[in-house]
Amino acid sequence: MRLRELPRTTSFRLALFFLLLFGGASVTLFGVLYVQMQGFLVARTDEWLLRERVDLSRFSPEELRTRLQARALVDPSLERAMAIFDPAGRRLDGTALPAPATIPAWDTPFDFAVALNGKREQYRGIARRLETGDTLLIAQGLHETDEFNEALVRAMLIGGILTVVLGLGGAVFVGVGAVRRLDAVTLAIRKIVAGDLSNRLPTRGTSDDVDRLVHVVNGMLEEIDRLMREVKGVCDNIAHDLRTPLTRLLGGLERVRRHDPPKEAYGLAVDDAITETKGILKTFAALLRISEVEDGARRSGFVSVDLAAIVQDAVDFYEPLADEKQLALSLSGQPVSLPLMGDASLLFEAVGNLLDNAIKFTPPGGHVRVELFVSAAGRGVSVADDGPGIPPAEREAVLRRFYRTEKSRSTPGSGLGLSLVAGIAGLHGMALTLADNDPGCRITLAKMPDA
Amino acid sequence: MTRMLVVEDDTITAQELRAALEDHGFEVDHAQDGKAGLLKAAAGGYDAIILDRMLPGELDGLGVLSTLRAVGVEVPVLIVSALSAVDERVRGLKAGGDDYLVKPVEFVELTARVEALLRRRTAPTRVSRLQVGDLELDLITHRVTRAGRALDLLPREYELLEYLMRQAGQVVTRTMLFEQVWKYHYPESSNVIDVHISKLRRKIDPEGASPMIQTIRGAGYILNAAS
Repeated sequence: MRLRELPRTTSFRLALFFLLLFGGASVTLFGVLYVQMQGFLVARTDEWLLRERVDLSRFSPEELRTRLQARALVDPSLERAMAIFDPAGRRLDGTALPAPATIPAWDTPFDFAVALNGKREQYRGIARRLETGDTLLIAQGLHETDEFNEALVRAMLIGGILTVVLGLGGAVFVGVGAVRRLDAVTLAIRKIVAGDLSNRLPTRGTSDDVDRLVHVVNGMLEEIDRLMREVKGVCDNIAHDLRTPLTRLLGGLERVRRHDPPKEAYGLAVDDAITETKGILKTFAALLRISEVEDGARRSGFVSVDLAAIVQDAVDFYEPLADEKQLALSLSGQPVSLPLMGDASLLFEAVGNLLDNAIKFTPPGGHVRVELFVSAAGRGVSVADDGPGIPPAEREAVLRRFYRTEKSRSTPGSGLGLSLVAGIAGLHGMALTLADNDPGCRITLAKMPDA
Repeated sequence: MTRMLVVEDDTITAQELRAALEDHGFEVDHAQDGKAGLLKAAAGGYDAIILDRMLPGELDGLGVLSTLRAVGVEVPVLIVSALSAVDERVRGLKAGGDDYLVKPVEFVELTARVEALLRRRTAPTRVSRLQVGDLELDLITHRVTRAGRALDLLPREYELLEYLMRQAGQVVTRTMLFEQVWKYHYPESSNVIDVHISKLRRKIDPEGASPMIQTIRGAGYILNAAS
């Protein structure tokens, strides 16, 4: 983990951002508190000053001096001072407080400083001119207020330092965690890019946001892996399956070239070549069709269709073929209509392929049962036969392009039918399931509720 | 002589289309792009137009088609396209196309469909019965008789026969039958249509008679009056 990468991580920056935000909010809060507190203390002092001034104004100058003398005896502290000064500023009576340098206004509270025991002390006081020409000063020391202010500022500072330290620490912690995690993910991605497609991104198992993202990416990798394997399989199969007809085609053409046969034989050879080529083209067309279906572009043309009517049509279409093979083809199921968003031709093609397979692989005298169903678990159609069935081990495989079961190799077919059905089912959000029908096979196309 | 206009930008495909249509006995004219195609088609004198869906330049197949229809040219148009999606087909037909074929085009399919288009144009629109030899089909009562004897047909068989009779004397491909009668559009490749046809044959042909519906190898079917 490189420390200089830390400031670049999103989580670190986010943590810093919140630290700033929180710090700003705290400073504002403390500032407001400070100002309010200050105002409150001044107001309280002023209230006392004014009250005392009014109280003392009731007395005559003589009475006042007596009171002040008494007060100075009772309360010699300079915290709350009351004194009378002559116009020269000499103290006549009261608390031993020096006179302020200037008096800015009469009968209005004002701040002033005096030197006491060699120290400058702040006071707030009110002055009144007496009839005798002397000055009455009532003053409150601001010492307490200042101490309170200092304590407040100290608390603010300590709190601020604590916030910054904790915030920075948290940001580093979060940032380091994120960097470590990203490093792990990056390493895994590098490995995958290098070709190890079976590798997956690490998760923490906490299902937090990053974990959820990692899960999605892992799902995507799973799908890519599957597709890659499928593409490889398809390429192998295409090469394999097309080599046979191409070899036959080439063989036939070379033979006719070598032998230089009469005109009719030429014609027959050309016919054979045409048939062979058409077969190859047909395989290609089927392949193209599967990819066209799978790429999902067709969904734009989806309209509301009735699966029940389509299945009915498909059963009607295949009935003569079943008759010819002496198979009993039946359609059952409750739903009269099974509306869904889809493409009627594709759905017909899918059901047709299933019927075609069932009819092809079921021996004469057998049954092919088509059933429409609507249940809590979903709605759709199933095609069941009592033919040889598909061995459980091969059920996955039959959906692959070109795959043909051992037993079916003697029957004509491209091995593409079920891949196409699977593609069409996928396009319609339907699940294709293969199951045992004891004997035979049951293939179900079902749309899950709200799927 | 029947005159065709082929609008196709690919030279080789155009040559192949031209050869196939000329072999079939049509006189063929060719336009390389949408603009030339539109000018030629608007000038008139064609019985049908084979129009490529995707053309280079600003005017593609659908543009040519909708312009033609907008100016009132009603000549039948067969769209040939590499785009096989169903909504492409629907768009083509909506723009005024009469039929839609997906490339690569089989020439039997092409000529059969062109013939069907030409026939649709020349056929009287209001008929109440069809007749081919001693086979008669009443479009109103849905009664079908062969030499006066009533035939018992299932609804699909009736539709199959009606289409074959409308195209009597012309080759009809399996795909055309599938699209016309079952109304689904995809490259149907099973032999189920053949089974339907042989069932229909057994119903309309009396014992021992040569079948009215003949199979054309590698192409489709043709309905002819019994000889």
